[in-house]
Amino acid sequence: MIERKERKPYWRHTKWQMLASLLPFLLVLIVLPLYSDGLNHNKFLGFPLGYLLSAHGVFIVSLITVGGFVNRQDAIDHWHGAHEDN
Amino acid sequence: MTFTPRARLINPRLGIYFGIFTSAFCALVLVLLMLEQMGASRGLLSLLILLGSFAALMTIAVASATNDPLDFYAAGRRVPAVYCGVGLAISTLGATGIACLTGAFFIVGFDVFWILSGGLAGFVVMAVLLAPFFRKFGTFTLPTYLGRRFDSRNIRIISAALLAVPTLLIIAAEIGIGAKAIDWLLKLGQPMSVAIMAVAVACGLVFGGMRALTWSSVATAVAAILALVVPVAIVAVLLGYLPVPQFSHGPLVRAVGRAEAVAAIPIVTQPGLTFNLPHDGFQAAVKRFYEPFGSIGPLAYALATLTTMMGVAAAPWVLPRVATTPGVYEARKSLGWACFFFGSILVTAITIAAFMRHYLMQAVGGSIAAPPEWLRNLIAVRLAEMNTRGNELGMPSILFDRDSTILALPYAAGLPEVFAFLAAVGLVAAAFAAASAATLTLAGTLSEDIVNGLDWQPPAAKLRLGVARIMIVLVAVFGGLVAQLASGDALKLVLWALALTASTGFPVLVSSIWWKRVNQFGALAGIVTGFTVAVLTILAAEAEFIALHSALAAVIGVPAGIAALVSVSLLTLPPTRHALELVRDVRVPGGEILYDREMRMQRQKQIRRG
Repeated sequence: MIERKERKPYWRHTKWQMLASLLPFLLVLIVLPLYSDGLNHNKFLGFPLGYLLSAHGVFIVSLITVGGFVNRQDAIDHWHGAHEDN
Repeated sequence: MTFTPRARLINPRLGIYFGIFTSAFCALVLVLLMLEQMGASRGLLSLLILLGSFAALMTIAVASATNDPLDFYAAGRRVPAVYCGVGLAISTLGATGIACLTGAFFIVGFDVFWILSGGLAGFVVMAVLLAPFFRKFGTFTLPTYLGRRFDSRNIRIISAALLAVPTLLIIAAEIGIGAKAIDWLLKLGQPMSVAIMAVAVACGLVFGGMRALTWSSVATAVAAILALVVPVAIVAVLLGYLPVPQFSHGPLVRAVGRAEAVAAIPIVTQPGLTFNLPHDGFQAAVKRFYEPFGSIGPLAYALATLTTMMGVAAAPWVLPRVATTPGVYEARKSLGWACFFFGSILVTAITIAAFMRHYLMQAVGGSIAAPPEWLRNLIAVRLAEMNTRGNELGMPSILFDRDSTILALPYAAGLPEVFAFLAAVGLVAAAFAAASAATLTLAGTLSEDIVNGLDWQPPAAKLRLGVARIMIVLVAVFGGLVAQLASGDALKLVLWALALTASTGFPVLVSSIWWKRVNQFGALAGIVTGFTVAVLTILAAEAEFIALHSALAAVIGVPAGIAALVSVSLLTLPPTRHALELVRDVRVPGGEILYDREMRMQRQKQIRRG
């Protein structure tokens, strides 16, 4: 159980983690497809690069984002004693 | 001493059960392949595969019957992250996501990739901003959450009424697409197929509610993923690629591009807000497969990504299901799994579209008098049409049904017909999962927040579940009627639903956790304004008063909702001490679920009094 005086630092930490997870991800998500026309002239694994990044790339970036978030946020929970006992 | 409540124990045999289901499903398909070689008729094969799948789903539904509200509404809060994630993914996608999107990918290629990125971003945003905190609150429906969070019955009832609209749109779209697949398999006619879907959804939910929904949606996801992945892997091997076509079809995409250049298909770039979504029914592929922004402009692409993201993150038929996980760590992790399955299914759909484009480009340039054999087969089974004017087959002269592209691949590749039946059953299964999720949400909202919504304390379990079961049947019947009477473009219905949930739910859900100053008046203003503006935008766009596609209604709805929420909150009194204490509690997402604690205390009080 989290101590009362730990609540504020815990929430501050959580907020920074939220920004660190979402901002780069959303930036990639919005900006990447806009450049796919130019990227399509290159190829990777046989794919036109813009096509690959806008489909498979976004998929893999989102997996990495959620995975990183789950691990980091769990570490934050443990650091402040806000984790569940299992 | 550590004390683990009984409800948090996870069934250790889940893997075995679903292993048995998967093997039985594979065995069924293999037997049908053998029967097909032995000369069994088309009707018998499609009947057997459909009956087999429905029998499995109904077995799960009956086996998970329950009379406990926690089991009925939250699957006992003991669903492991993987199972929760696969359920979230398949009920977000549904058959519309699989059938319509494969067709859309086929017709406009790159330009509809925003649905993939929007859905994935929706799960990411849900994991970071909403899911852990919603799980801590632990209510069974979104309106109950909003009502309790702002301590207002008005918000509870009004948000229930408004969020019912997008949920009903989803039910109608999914039952419609599922019925279309049943009709294609059994040729029973549209009304009969809709009736079968509605009855199946009602029977699937009425015994076990969320418990049945969770386990049957895992089974449907297994069936849908097999139906998608197996045929396309076989086609990949036939064409000389590795059997993981999702990552090995690159050279084929570039070959398609070269063939399109030879056929002199022009490269078009649309201006910013153009949004030409492929409609339902027969149409020709319109633009080069991997050249971007030929039918949807770059700005519309970005806005559509954000709309889908907010719609998925706030979807009332998706979000409450994260509270079925046993802990906050699992709740976050389940969304990672949801991303994995959602992305895998859609990347497979893109691959199917690329393969279909490959076959299409092979046919283009041939003579109209002697089209390739697979095209004649497709026309015979009503999956394609051909324009017989002129001498040469061009891309505009071959028309495909958008929602049946996925069924066309086995014919185009010359696979046995059973693979097309398998794809159709995958669609029926996905439609069943998504329609059930939306039906349970709507029935839960009606029974919890409207019929029993005047009192914060729910009635006795028997009455509570009785009302919910009646509502499930009514909602399924009503959803079937809507699907039959107003059978529109399913993809558009789903996009409208996402636009409405984004405008109605997203601002208030996010601010209820991340902004302490929001009060009940602001929340109510945000919900009502967002919904009204989004509906008006959709109507205006459909009547062509404004130059914005109706699927992008949230572009106006969400800012309007946020503006109303912020301004009304700041102009009225700050929230009460009780509300602030609640937010402080929710912001620490670990620990016992608040709703369960309250119910436990109420029970203890009753025991002491009795």
